[in-house]
Amino acid sequence: MRALIQRIGQGFVVIAIVATATFVLIRLAPGDPFSGALENAHLTPALRAQWRAAYGLDGNIGTQYVRWIWALLHGDLGWSVSTNQPVARSIAAALPNTLWLMGFALLLSFAIGMSLGALQAARRNRATDHVIGAVTLFGAALPDFWLASVVLLTGAYWFRVFPAGLATDPLLPLAASFGTVLRDRLSHLVLPVLTLVILIAAPVARQQRTALLDRLGADWVRTATAKGVEPWTVFRRHAWRTALGPVVTLGGLALPALVGGSVFVERVFQWPGMGALVASAIDARDYHLVVGCVLVGAMMVVVGSIVADVLSQRLDPRAVQIETDLARVTT
Amino acid sequence: MSRLRALFLIPVLTLAGCPGTNEAKPTAATDRTGGTLVISTPSGPDNLMPPITVQNSGLQVEDLVFQHLATVGPALNSIGDDGFTPDLATSWDWSRDSLSIAFHLDTTARWHDGEHVRASDVAFTFDLYKDPKTGAAAAAQLANIDSVSTPDAATAVFWFRKHTPDQFFEATMQMQILPAHLLRTLDRATLASAPIASQPVGSGPFRVVRWESGKTIELAADTAGGRRRAYLDRVIFTQAADPVTAFTRVATGEADLYEAVRPDKVAEVVKNAQLKLIIAPSLNYNFLILNLVDPITGKPHPVFGDRTVRRALTMATDRRSIVANIYDSLAVQARGPFTSAQASADTTLRPMPYSVDSANKLLDATGWVRGADSLRRKNGKVLGFTIAVPSSSLPRVRASVLFQEQFRRVGADVKVESSDNSAFGARMSARNFDATIGAWAQDAGPANARDAWTTAAAAKGLNNYGAYRSAAFDAELDSALTVRSATESHTHFARAWKIITDDAPAIWLAEPRLAMAINSRFVTTGMRVDSWWAGIPKWYIPADKRIARDAPAAVAR
Repeated sequence: MRALIQRIGQGFVVIAIVATATFVLIRLAPGDPFSGALENAHLTPALRAQWRAAYGLDGNIGTQYVRWIWALLHGDLGWSVSTNQPVARSIAAALPNTLWLMGFALLLSFAIGMSLGALQAARRNRATDHVIGAVTLFGAALPDFWLASVVLLTGAYWFRVFPAGLATDPLLPLAASFGTVLRDRLSHLVLPVLTLVILIAAPVARQQRTALLDRLGADWVRTATAKGVEPWTVFRRHAWRTALGPVVTLGGLALPALVGGSVFVERVFQWPGMGALVASAIDARDYHLVVGCVLVGAMMVVVGSIVADVLSQRLDPRAVQIETDLARVTT
Repeated sequence: MSRLRALFLIPVLTLAGCPGTNEAKPTAATDRTGGTLVISTPSGPDNLMPPITVQNSGLQVEDLVFQHLATVGPALNSIGDDGFTPDLATSWDWSRDSLSIAFHLDTTARWHDGEHVRASDVAFTFDLYKDPKTGAAAAAQLANIDSVSTPDAATAVFWFRKHTPDQFFEATMQMQILPAHLLRTLDRATLASAPIASQPVGSGPFRVVRWESGKTIELAADTAGGRRRAYLDRVIFTQAADPVTAFTRVATGEADLYEAVRPDKVAEVVKNAQLKLIIAPSLNYNFLILNLVDPITGKPHPVFGDRTVRRALTMATDRRSIVANIYDSLAVQARGPFTSAQASADTTLRPMPYSVDSANKLLDATGWVRGADSLRRKNGKVLGFTIAVPSSSLPRVRASVLFQEQFRRVGADVKVESSDNSAFGARMSARNFDATIGAWAQDAGPANARDAWTTAAAAKGLNNYGAYRSAAFDAELDSALTVRSATESHTHFARAWKIITDDAPAIWLAEPRLAMAINSRFVTTGMRVDSWWAGIPKWYIPADKRIARDAPAAVAR
């Protein structure tokens, strides 16, 4: 418990450092929210300077930081120039879409990846192992932007089975039935989720296979087998369960994606989520929005890593034992 | 080649000289009412508050939601009121000395919240645009208007400081009339963040139903005012930043219109029976700006400070082939700092010829001598410079590489530096570049060149980024903008263009054309060169071509 409180305290420090570093770095990048739109000859630099002042982006970086911290303490993440609304509202609009997309994608990716990895380990060095290994290697090597474009063109343009982008049909009547809305949302989900599953499941499968092969050669597995325990039980209870640690760690590390989304996939499928939001915010040098998104992302990384640590410890009896021993020593 | 052939063999709709594009046989007005237009747009608006909107996507929406007093005609004439059509004002009277114009407003006009539009709204709008606190980009264009008075609720009188050829254009096209009763109490310095900047109330043919930032803007035909309603029930802008996705949405019928078809997709549009291709001239032109001032020392640029060297470099470039390489048939070679569609254009002006031999001779004559490594040197310094480009613009990146290769042939060592749009903007503002591929998106007014190429705009902080200065050019341009005869004005413009193109402060490259894919069920009309969307209120879908989303039931939300 004490360790957990310590981790949470460290987490706060990490979040503060990340947010401050982002605040400074984005301002050190050349340009600002009003340096674009160069093709309109009526826009003068004086006008841009006036707009900067109106949005509190004038003054030196220290002044701006103090203003930002003061607003943050009052629960205000600032105004997003590129989306023309408060940062909190922009994030609140994008976050559910990313949770919906990445939630589905991660769930399916881990389910499929873990199953494939387990199957490979169970059929080690056989044809199944080689075929799945080749396929997952191919999946892991695909560039996400290219894969997303190919999936989009295949599913939406050549075969015209699924919609080409967006999270919902903008023409859907407000009075549409629940079933219609659900069908619409799911149909928009298929292609981006398929892309993400190909990208994520591959490394999960490879990780699972490696971890399982490692455990299958462990002493306790040999002992259980020698004692006459059923092979399936040995595999499931003594090998697979203890091999979950690395995959859970991978899951913990993937947890920020649940909030951060996938920039390229969201961009190609025009999915209005956090990935696309933060990418366009960086392009537009929308300072407040970038820092707001990073702040939320950093919080999720901290939470994700704490959850992953706790879960790993619970899943691995040796870790629990070590923790108990340590507690005994310290008392 | 096959793409080009496809373009010529299959009828392609063009706007040039054809304002009634795609007009079908007459149909009763009642049969035309109804339907939905879904536009796939690459970006969303920055806000929907006309004085401070910058993004083109915002201007498109505002032109459908708000009204001008009168609108410029398809010929884009800006001298006097020839060709202008009534909009919020049904008529106008000039004073004898032409120092005032009285606009008589449509007495049936209403704001979308039901309030009557009054002359006081016009006076308020003028005050709002002119107020430095507002930060309106058009404020400088309104400098000649002294005040607006309102003798009665339906008359707004504009008082001018002096009589100029474009005073009517300034009074009508630089402002969209805004509702005073909703804006009067707002802080003008932060108008963009006011809720009304997201849910604007105008008096135009469409009202805003919803704006989901980054996703969708839905407009519905307004039926409250006295004007004839728009035929279409709805116009929906859906944002798709990725060009492949945006195009796919139109190709599959999920959207009806995409305005930025790339050359490699033209043949695909032509082949698709559901789509028609509209190619139109635009008011945009691009060029390679040569910085006449050394960004480090502030003295004349060691390469571009010499007019002869600039002319040589211009002659060294095969601009026609660069344009064809980048745009295929979707652009023509630019002749100077104007586009062929503008009233001020001189279409007889001949661009400097492409001649590598002449370029080499000129460079030899100026003391830039080729060395054994085939690079030219003068006083021990290599003839070298960098071209800065925004990485987000594929045509500009490609153009810079082609320029680099062509300059290499005459012994110049050129490097290309690309950066993202914001960084590129900061660099331009700081004048920290040797050369860069620039572009101007002009409005229909005649004065665009004044803000971009005159001595007055050359000071650091203004928009003549290359710091070109020519008293002769300034004088001719000034005369062109002040004489009252169209013929005289054109003569002065032609002289101004000749002076600047001879001085070569830039290498004029291309006039990109608008290439639009639109679902063939639409009958389109009234597109203007400065705004293809201007005619949307008159677009319609014949009853026999409507699909499910055009039905009234689909419209009810």
